[in-house]
Amino acid sequence: MAPTASSRFLRPSHLPFIMALIDVAAILTWSLLLLKFCWTKEINLLLHPDYVWLAYTAGFFLMGLGLFKMVQVLGRLLNRSSRRVKRSQSSEAISHFSIFPFGSAVMLGVALFGLSFTPQPFASQTALDRGVMDTLTLTRSQPQSFRSKSRPEERTLTEWVRTLNVYPEPDAYKDQKAKIEGFVIHIKDQPDDVLILSRFVITCCAADAYPIGIPVKLKGSRSAYAPDQWLRVEGKMATQTLSGKRQLVVMATDLTKIPKPDAPYEY
Amino acid sequence: MNQLNNVLTLFFSLLVEAMPFLLLGVLLSSALLLFVDERKLIAAVPRNPLLAAFVGSLIGFVFPVCECGNVPVARRLMVQGAPISMSIGFLLAAPTVNPIVFWATWTAFRDQPEIVFMRVGFSLLIATIIGWVFSTQKDLRPLLQPAIARSMPVPRSRSRRRKKHEESVSDLLQSGTFILGQSGKLQLDGDPLETAALMANPVLSKPIPVRLQMMLDNVILELRELGGILVIGSAIAAIVQVSIPRDVVLNLGQNNVTSILAMLLLACVISICSTVDAFFALSFASIFTSGSLLAFLIFGPMIDLKNIALLWSVFKGRAIFYLFALAALLTFLVAFLVNLYVS
Repeated sequence: MAPTASSRFLRPSHLPFIMALIDVAAILTWSLLLLKFCWTKEINLLLHPDYVWLAYTAGFFLMGLGLFKMVQVLGRLLNRSSRRVKRSQSSEAISHFSIFPFGSAVMLGVALFGLSFTPQPFASQTALDRGVMDTLTLTRSQPQSFRSKSRPEERTLTEWVRTLNVYPEPDAYKDQKAKIEGFVIHIKDQPDDVLILSRFVITCCAADAYPIGIPVKLKGSRSAYAPDQWLRVEGKMATQTLSGKRQLVVMATDLTKIPKPDAPYEY
Repeated sequence: MNQLNNVLTLFFSLLVEAMPFLLLGVLLSSALLLFVDERKLIAAVPRNPLLAAFVGSLIGFVFPVCECGNVPVARRLMVQGAPISMSIGFLLAAPTVNPIVFWATWTAFRDQPEIVFMRVGFSLLIATIIGWVFSTQKDLRPLLQPAIARSMPVPRSRSRRRKKHEESVSDLLQSGTFILGQSGKLQLDGDPLETAALMANPVLSKPIPVRLQMMLDNVILELRELGGILVIGSAIAAIVQVSIPRDVVLNLGQNNVTSILAMLLLACVISICSTVDAFFALSFASIFTSGSLLAFLIFGPMIDLKNIALLWSVFKGRAIFYLFALAALLTFLVAFLVNLYVS
C-alpha cells in the first residue's frame, strides 16, 4: 500500500492505523444509521416490514464488529506496535486483491450524511412519472388466492384494486359502499371534478414501489384538494367513462382530510 | 428538490436492504476461505470434462463466495491441479449459484419466482458450457499469467514421446518442484516459494485464534471494498431511475433486443456484488423486459469491470476476452429466448 502523505506527522507506518480507524468509524456509523432508521420508524419508508428485522440484525452486528475492532486498534495504538497490523495485512494480500481501498471513506461519508437525512415518502409527481395511468388498476403481484373482505366498505384501496384485477367488470361493483384512504393525484386531461386517490405498493423496498389508484368523482372542483393531500373518501361505486375507458369510480359523498400515515405504503 | 429527495430515499432504501445480505455474504465467504481445504474438493471431482464443469459450477452451494472471493479460490484450484473445466465452472457460477444469492434474489423478486429459478438454472448452464469449451484446451498455461502458468502442474498427456521420456527418467533426475504428499506425481516448473504461496490456502496451517483474527480482518477488508462499490452502484441506480425521462427508459426497456443490450452493458459497468445485485435489478423491474433483468443477473456476476481487474491476475487478455465473449453471447441468447417465449 503506497503512502499518500509524506509529512513529518503522517509517516507511512501510520497509514495502516489511519485506514483501520476509518474502517472502524465507517462500520460504527453504518450501525448507527441502520438503528436510527429502525428506531425512528423511517425504515417504513425504505423497506417492506418483513425485512426490517434484517436491518436491525445488521445494525447490531455491525455495532459489535465495530466496537471489537475499535478496542483492537486502540490497543495496538497504545502499545505502539504496528508490527502485527502490518503482518496480518501482508498475509491477507495473498488471498485477497484490493482494488477499491477508499471504500471505507466512501461508506463513512454516506453514513454520516444518512444520519442527518430524513427519507420522504413518494408523492403524486412520482406516481405520475411512474405511470399511475398505465397501472391504475393493476397490481404487479399475482397472488394465487386472497380473501376479500365481505363488507365492501372495509376494503382498503389495495384490496379494491386486487379485487378488480380478479374480476375487472366495473358494473359488478355498482352501488357497493366504499371507504378508502390515499393521497390525491390530479391528472391534467381528466375533468375538473375527478381526482385519483392513490397509494404506493412495495414488495421489497422503495426501489420497487409502484402506484395504484382509483378515480374519485367529486361534487365540486378538485381544486379544494391539493395533490399529495391525504384523504379518507366515503361513497358508492359506479361506472364512468374516463380517458375513453369504462372504469370503476367512487362517487364521493364524504371527504375527510387525514394526516399522512407513518407507514404510507401498502404491501 | 422533490426529485433529489426521491433519489436519496431510493439510494438509502437500496443500501439498507442490501447491507444485511452483503454482511452475510462477506461473513460466510471469509469463514470458508479460512476453514475449507480445496484439495479435498478436487479429489472428489469427476474426470469427465462436462461433469467436472457441472460439479465445479455447483460448488458455490457449499462454498458461497461472491465474485471477489472466487478468483483467488479458482486460482488455487487451478494451481492445485483441478480440471480446467471445474475451475472455470466454479469461477463463473459460484457468485450466482449459492444459497445467499438465492435468498437475496428471492427477497427481491418474490412476485416473479421464475426469475429466481431461471437465474440459477441459466447461470449453471452457461458456466458448465464455458467450462466444457475451455476443457478442449488441454494445456491452459499459454492463456494464463506467467506466474500462475509456471506454478501449474505439467499436463501428463502432452505427447506420447514426452510421456515416454518422462516415464523412463527417474523423478529424482527431473527439474522443477515436487509437492510432497500428493498422490501421483505433481511436477511444477516454477519458483518453489512462489508456487507455495499460490498453492496453499495460506491460512490453514495457522492456529484457530489467528485464523479467527484473520477472518475478522478479511470481513472488514471485503466490507470496505464491496460496501464502497455497493454505494456507487446504488447511487447510479437511484439517479437513473429518477432522472432519465420515462419515455426514453420505456423505449429502451420494452424492446426485446435493446433492453438486453442495455442491461448487459449496465451489468458490466456497475460491477455491483452478486449478493445484492438483485435489489439493483429490482429498481428496473417495472420497465425492463424480464429477459433483460435475467441478463443483468446472470452476466454481472460472471464478468464486470471489477472482475476483469481480478481476472487479470490469473488470465492473459486473450482468455479474458474468450470468457467475456462466450458469457455475453450465451447470456444474450438465453435472455432473448426468455423474452420471446417465456415472458
